Amino acid sequence: MNDFSELEKDLKKLRPAQPSPVLFERVGEALENCRASVSDAKWKRWRFTETPYNWWSLGFGLAAAAVLILFAAITIERWHEHQQTVAQSSAASQTRPAPLGAERSTSRSGFVPAGGTNLVYNARDEGLHFTDGSERPVRRVRYHTQQTWRWRNPETGASLRVSYPSEEIVLIPVSGQ
Amino acid sequence: MEPIASHENWRNCFSEVAPGLLLFARQWVHSAADAEDIVQDAFVKFWRRNHDIDNRGLLYSAVRSLALDFIRRDARRARREATVLAETEPVVEPHFELEDDTQSALAAAVESLPRDQREVLVLKIWNDLTFSEIAGALGISQNTAASRYRYALTHLKKTFQPQ
Repeated sequence: MNDFSELEKDLKKLRPAQPSPVLFERVGEALENCRASVSDAKWKRWRFTETPYNWWSLGFGLAAAAVLILFAAITIERWHEHQQTVAQSSAASQTRPAPLGAERSTSRSGFVPAGGTNLVYNARDEGLHFTDGSERPVRRVRYHTQQTWRWRNPETGASLRVSYPSEEIVLIPVSGQ
Repeated sequence: MEPIASHENWRNCFSEVAPGLLLFARQWVHSAADAEDIVQDAFVKFWRRNHDIDNRGLLYSAVRSLALDFIRRDARRARREATVLAETEPVVEPHFELEDDTQSALAAAVESLPRDQREVLVLKIWNDLTFSEIAGALGISQNTAASRYRYALTHLKKTFQPQ
């Protein structure tokens, strides 16, 4: 680095332009306003927009989970009904064959969850940010994912697939140096 | 140096760091007024959070982040900046108080540096940040920061002809 010492000296002689005097006034006013609103800021520390999750994504995910649970509950219930029907028809078959149509009608809707994937196809680091009310900076990472859920009817072999894009913003706290 | 955030007289602190911060902000925005807005926001946040001078890398990181947000926020402005960027490459006009032709030539040589080298140079020379602090502010490794600084000086040595 010694080769550059003269050049570094010349560079340091270059003086950056001074900010306008108005800037000092503006900063002073902003700091005054900050002091006045400190107590308010404490109240608002956990405001909707300051939480480290994207609420739309969270809401969408919860809705999707609720649909899945509902679907699973219905599937299990129908499976039980189907079992009962089979048991009844087995008992009845000694005297009378069970109607074939009734069994088919229950098996048609007998989908069972067959798996799901959450494919992250893009993760963008959006750099460090200060969220209001936070003492430390956070790194903002935006994920784009494609979530896919599959169901399969083991009897008929039919399958059902639901796929939708999702976006999630994660704020990761970083420690100072 | 005295901890910046515990200093009662913010004016002293601000007058010390503001020229370098403005120069740094002008890496991304060409208007001096926009750069002052960004520096104001960053400094107020830094001061309000009572950060220590040891964490001043955060101040520069905040300036950079706000500048990038500023560009993203206004698409029309971003296009205009991009047009200016394309037309007047190299982009940045570090505003110096020039005293003679030698300084003008040196300032022109600095302006001709690639952006990634120039931002490291600006942080190192006119803001006195360490490579560790520069790495933190720019989100790069310390070695990368040092390399870019060395490349910048090498580039300047080739292009700068003292008058």
